[in-house]
Amino acid sequence: MWRFLGRRFVQMLITLLLFQAVTYFLIDAQPGDIADLLTLDPNIPPAERERLRAQLGLDRPPAERFITYIGNFYRGNLGVSFQEYPRPVIDIIKERLPRTVVLFLTASILSFWTGFVTGKILAWRRGGWIEYASTITGVTLYTVFTPWFALMMIWLFAVALNWLPAGKFLDPLKWLDAPISANAVFARMIWSSFFALVIVFVGFWFSNRVPRRQRLVLRAASLLVPLVGMLLYWRLSGLGFYAWDIARHLILPVLTVTLIAYGGTMLLTRTSMLETLREDYVLTARAKGLPDKVVRDKHVARNALLPVWTGLVFSLGNSVSGGIITETIFSWPGIGLTLLNSALVADIPVAMGTLTVVGVMTLISHLIADIGYAFLDPRIRYH
Amino acid sequence: MTKPLLSVENLTMHYTTRGGEVAAVDDVSFSLHEGEALGLVGESGCGKTSVAMSILRLLPDNARILGGQIWLGDLELLSLPEPEMQKVRWGRISMIFQAAMNSLNPVYRVGDQIIEALELHWGDISRQQARERVAELYQLVGLDPALMDRYPHEYSGGMRQRAVIAMALACNPDVIIADEPTTALDVIVQDRILKRLTEIQKKIGMAMIYISHDIAVIAEVSHRVGVMYAGKLVELANTVNIFERPLHPYTAGLMASIPSIHGEKRDLVTLGGEPPNLLHPPSGCRFHPRCARATGICIEQEPPFQDYGNGHYAACWHPMEVDYGSH
Repeated sequence: MWRFLGRRFVQMLITLLLFQAVTYFLIDAQPGDIADLLTLDPNIPPAERERLRAQLGLDRPPAERFITYIGNFYRGNLGVSFQEYPRPVIDIIKERLPRTVVLFLTASILSFWTGFVTGKILAWRRGGWIEYASTITGVTLYTVFTPWFALMMIWLFAVALNWLPAGKFLDPLKWLDAPISANAVFARMIWSSFFALVIVFVGFWFSNRVPRRQRLVLRAASLLVPLVGMLLYWRLSGLGFYAWDIARHLILPVLTVTLIAYGGTMLLTRTSMLETLREDYVLTARAKGLPDKVVRDKHVARNALLPVWTGLVFSLGNSVSGGIITETIFSWPGIGLTLLNSALVADIPVAMGTLTVVGVMTLISHLIADIGYAFLDPRIRYH
Repeated sequence: MTKPLLSVENLTMHYTTRGGEVAAVDDVSFSLHEGEALGLVGESGCGKTSVAMSILRLLPDNARILGGQIWLGDLELLSLPEPEMQKVRWGRISMIFQAAMNSLNPVYRVGDQIIEALELHWGDISRQQARERVAELYQLVGLDPALMDRYPHEYSGGMRQRAVIAMALACNPDVIIADEPTTALDVIVQDRILKRLTEIQKKIGMAMIYISHDIAVIAEVSHRVGVMYAGKLVELANTVNIFERPLHPYTAGLMASIPSIHGEKRDLVTLGGEPPNLLHPPSGCRFHPRCARATGICIEQEPPFQDYGNGHYAACWHPMEVDYGSH
């Protein structure tokens, strides 16, 4: 296993290097550079433009600049933003990456879980209007044009019903006299939710190992304890008001991304379940006298999980790049929006930094997929 | 005669398909006594497996049981509520499936799949006891108990077959239905497994229904043989009688089509024609279009399933020979 991981790490590094090379030259191939954009004013003499170019290193040939960039990158220096000069790129990523990860990780997990559970049940109860309705809903969500759907969601929840804010990360008017910065509040939100989730998972995992009578009590406790803990924490710290403002802004984009991803997961689970149902070992399980629910969850769903798992992990990898559309429509200041803005103004260090994050996330999620396979399917082993 | 362990009475089962009703099992009756091995033989699609699936009530959604009763002791299985039926499955009637190669779930250890059945039907059994029981079963079928912690893909075809047999034996069922258990295996492995199966059957004394299209295999393992044709049981007798004096022309045809390596060289006799389309079964005796002895009555009326003495039953208007004297 360790040898596999080691070899895999080297492969990932090589892939990343190739990825960086391709993206660097593609961004550089855009006509014009940031110096042109910053000196659009006709009163600025051309010499000044050349001086700016030389200062940013843009007068060097692309190959030389790429080698300098890569050299600095692997020494931990991602450069400074051209547009927000002299802000370090790493700062920008540190600020925006958590926002994107929270948005898409939450949506991915939610859509995966709901899609898997409903797909499983739908495959089991076939026929009738439920099957038609859910299949049509699934296909609609799976194929819908994302920007249109996101706009419709904004129209419905933010305009027509006026329940949720239409976009952005927070409402600036509420933060005028905030004691700490929005990023600090957001970081606390991430950590507290993480600990709460860990408690829930450990509680549920442990509840399967105790006698049935204590099971419900333990499960209720593992839900209530983190919930009460969260409420107390935000109440006592006095930051609850600000955390709620960010959370409110998070709901609509999470809901939209969840719904779009849900359709595919649900349909995939359903198809995968229907295929697995035809297997002989499912008949054996029924012949053994196992109740329907056990046959479904233990024997069918467990085998049907594999392709769905692939879908989940790949969607995690693609979430950052796919998020460009969502983040733009919801004005969510994450990595996707940053990437789009920096690419538009040829802010090469920021564009490269964010694209590298996309590449690294994709590589990591594929690694997680492969490790997950080994856990899910005993036939898959790595050497 | 003692009360039979399992008796199937006038079982009729149809499949509803896009083309219409398929009469897969039509008015089939037979019984199985304690310690007995009954063979069911017939061409593919004659309804052998459908009979087995009706007994366990594991039929697909498009199947409908139109009539008949299945008695397991004093229990009538067809009218049993589903939770009760779940106790009967594997607890009292277990099955070795046609595609035994794929009857093990690939993601669980083989031993755990047997333990799953034990824990379900024997309830208060500790993990350690269950593992000991699996080890015992593995020895019985000729497998190394150390293999129980391996996954199905680490087993060879013959080993998987043995594990499936061990699983079928796990809860000491009254009846085991073996549906073509050795069809997917090569002849040598097939022979070894059949020998082991008959040994176990004698040793434990359980009753068994053995389903196969291979009449040689049936001859080797069963005490009595039922011959099925187009959803009907056409002949039922003990193994010696059915081989030595078949009454139904179809049975006679089956016997004649077995090549023999002993005795004189003879031409292999084959049955002409094709198995009937069960969407539109032939009138009267379903075998009449392929039967050399068919006359007018065979086309018009269904022959009754009657006793020719010695427990030899057949459904034919013109049986091959009647030498039991009672008729």
